Amino acid sequence: MTMVSITITINGEIFTASVKPNTILIDLLRDKLGLTGTKKGCGTGECGACTVILDGKAVNSCLVLAAEANGKEVLTIEGLATSGKADRLQQAFVDHGAIQCGFCTTGMLMSSKALLDTNPAPNESEIKSALSGNLCRCGGYLRIIEAIKSQKYS
Amino acid sequence: MSKEKWDEFSIVGKNMPRVDGLDKALGVAKYVSDISVPGMLVGKILRSPFPHARIMNIDTSRALNKAGVKAVITAADTARRKFCMNRGWESNMILQDSKVRFIGDQVAAVAAIDEDTAMEALSLIKAEYEPLPAVFDPEEAMLHGAPEIHEAKNNIAIHVQRMFGDVEKGFEQSHLIRQGFYYSPPVTHCCMEPRACFATYSSDTLSIWAHTQTPHGLREELSEAIQIPQSKISVFQAPIGGAFGAKIGMDPMDAITALLAMKTRLPVKIANKRDEEFATSRFRYPMKIWLRSGVKKDGRIIARDVKVITDNGAYNHEGHLVMGNAGSKAAQLYAVPNVRYEGYLVFTNNVFGGAFRGFGNPQITFAMETQLDEIADCLNMDPADIRRVNANTPNSTTASGCKITSCGLTECIEITARESNWINKRKRPKSKKNARVGIGMACMIHGGSGVKFYYGKNCNFSSAIIKMNNDGSVDLLVGASELGQGSDTTMAMLAAERLGINLSDIKVISGDTDTTPFDPGAWGSRQTFTAGNAVLSAANKVRRQLLDVASDLMEANIEDLDIKNGNISVKGSPSISIRVSDAAAESYRNRGKPIQAQGVFEDVWSVQSDPKTGIGNVSSAYSFGTQVAEVEVDIETGFVKVLDFWCAHDVGRAINPLGAETQIEGGVLSMGIGYALMEKMIFQSGEVKNQSFCDYKIPTISDACGLKNYFVETLDEHGPLGAKGVGEPAMIPSAAAIANAIYDAVGVWVRELPITPDRLLSAIKENSIKRNGR
Repeated sequence: MTMVSITITINGEIFTASVKPNTILIDLLRDKLGLTGTKKGCGTGECGACTVILDGKAVNSCLVLAAEANGKEVLTIEGLATSGKADRLQQAFVDHGAIQCGFCTTGMLMSSKALLDTNPAPNESEIKSALSGNLCRCGGYLRIIEAIKSQKYS
Repeated sequence: MSKEKWDEFSIVGKNMPRVDGLDKALGVAKYVSDISVPGMLVGKILRSPFPHARIMNIDTSRALNKAGVKAVITAADTARRKFCMNRGWESNMILQDSKVRFIGDQVAAVAAIDEDTAMEALSLIKAEYEPLPAVFDPEEAMLHGAPEIHEAKNNIAIHVQRMFGDVEKGFEQSHLIRQGFYYSPPVTHCCMEPRACFATYSSDTLSIWAHTQTPHGLREELSEAIQIPQSKISVFQAPIGGAFGAKIGMDPMDAITALLAMKTRLPVKIANKRDEEFATSRFRYPMKIWLRSGVKKDGRIIARDVKVITDNGAYNHEGHLVMGNAGSKAAQLYAVPNVRYEGYLVFTNNVFGGAFRGFGNPQITFAMETQLDEIADCLNMDPADIRRVNANTPNSTTASGCKITSCGLTECIEITARESNWINKRKRPKSKKNARVGIGMACMIHGGSGVKFYYGKNCNFSSAIIKMNNDGSVDLLVGASELGQGSDTTMAMLAAERLGINLSDIKVISGDTDTTPFDPGAWGSRQTFTAGNAVLSAANKVRRQLLDVASDLMEANIEDLDIKNGNISVKGSPSISIRVSDAAAESYRNRGKPIQAQGVFEDVWSVQSDPKTGIGNVSSAYSFGTQVAEVEVDIETGFVKVLDFWCAHDVGRAINPLGAETQIEGGVLSMGIGYALMEKMIFQSGEVKNQSFCDYKIPTISDACGLKNYFVETLDEHGPLGAKGVGEPAMIPSAAAIANAIYDAVGVWVRELPITPDRLLSAIKENSIKRNGR
């Protein structure tokens, strides 16, 4: 199998590799780069646990080929914190009780961030629409909605 | 346990951020599926494509010869022991040696250098089967001539009959009798993290990171399965992406991973893909329920007759306990004086179920609580009123011998009725164009303190160890397990409160059989009660040790000292104080006595129910709750939209209110709504047909309606600071509340879950024909 060369900016750092053409972005992140904050819940784009932000848009990283991300910018959960300190949104999730088992959390956070970056004061309907692809089996979603609502970006 | 009364709490009863939340938000919490170490092998399991077959031969030679394959195992590599976490019920094997009994039954496993190689190795294993006739319905399986799955006559794993009081007399005395058939389907946990297991074996010690709710229990089961002493096994719990009962007891995956690690002396990880997870995981035991209730004129239920047929699936696991629990609830809810219960647990060639939040109680509560609304309708009684008449009361005993002590069920009914504006909503016109609105109520009872189901006659203890460091910070080692439900946080809150230190000064160590003291595990909504009591016991001892030293240093009487915010001071003279760390360091360095203690909780109030009669006080404390649901039914599509929920739960005392509230929200909105309206595993000739989230729908954020939560705090005399469990109660009455609301809206009953749009539409049409003749 001929390999493909890719250059992706991941969390602000340029990453270059030679990968098999069928390499999926989520596996590149988790297995090659050790960025295991992005979770694999289904591998088929149905649960949202693998959500990352690709050129500003929330995507299921299990449905993106690594080669597709060539030349693009990827933001994962590991890119939210600065110097090990949680960003406001992450802290809001903690403070509002929006986390239980935590497996859906990083995907929820990335979908939330993608929403807030384009719509700093979303209403409940917009929040629900943006997160409709992120499943949670523990928490019932209400605290996540509250956490997002608590974010007012000036 | 200390009987002191607390006038004012600093930490307990306050909303505290969970102790493990930040790691999860940052994405640094490492789940088992995240574990990756150099040289790690990928394991894969070969599963039977047949629901019932004799294994004729398994040829692993081609797989073994493939480059990159480090081990291939079959039953020949095991001790060929049958196992079951419940002794006396052994029927499964880690790898089957003679027969396979469900599609997905494990027959071999490989460990290879990567996933692709492991998958290819699986395809190179030649397994030859002789298919046998199979049976998939429990009633068919009971018939003479049905295929024999195990050596159980008519495939009946157990047939249970119970009688409390005299049910025939009860019916004779009844003013009204109602009966119905109800069906609760198989529904699956859908933990967001598919099951995974990671093991290493060095020298003679096995270290295993498993998806488990019972680390000590798993260690014991593994020890028996792979035949090495328990002290040579270390079981660790990583943060776990969901459990809800699915992870109780050893799973074949755990033992298989261990065996592969032992054979290769390399780290091995096995992880389910999502379709494998849907196809082979445990799930809620499906039940066919025939229920007959008899009531007096005032609505009081005086007779209940229940027959249940439960699909046990291919192997024993928890079926007898789940079915038994369902039966016991028939006697417990509303303390009906005359109850007959008959249960058949039947083997089939389907995948087998396991524990799932509620453990038989959601199934039976659906039947009981919807039938009660039918009865209320016949008597022209308000459903809230009929529940007021029947509600369990404090300090009462059920016909089955359950001693209800603290009980706030009446308060739960009052609160939900008041807050939901029940009376006005019941009276209002139901119609809104094509929609009908309705409101419904359901109650529940459940054990709030654990039960003596597992591991022996009297096995509902817990233990905790507190070590205070010289800087006043604390290591809290608990046998209780953090599954995401917030156990670590609750234990830390109890310890911090009792010790008079800050929550942030406590580090909780759990999920580690090497370092933590014994505990039977996280199930039965027991941990707040059992582990909480153990933590308080340890904290009381440590507090005493500290005050002994402080009283000496401060030349004060112990009774005059108090600890708050890490300061030990004289009551009434807060300026006379020393730091907790001063006392700890003084004791450690200058008196030769480190500040540490073990606390143990012994459950002396509950018993295992009598195996013949079913009589016994099975819990030390019982939890109660009432939920009210408001729905809108689209009569053109049959689609049900849940508008609102009001939940009142008697939790004794809410130690960790934020944790308890989010348990309830999750139980209703992430699970209860799904159980009521969406979820069903579709089996076809033993195969699970819906193996994805596309085809097995669970509630999304779009389904989340508002939910108002109310705690009734009855301050149970035996609970830690009065607390009782709430994890399972969160979803036990939800489906019945929704079904009752649907009846209020459109006047039809659907007695089979889930109440899907097509099922509801058919019921509406049928009802319309009955009423209007067209």
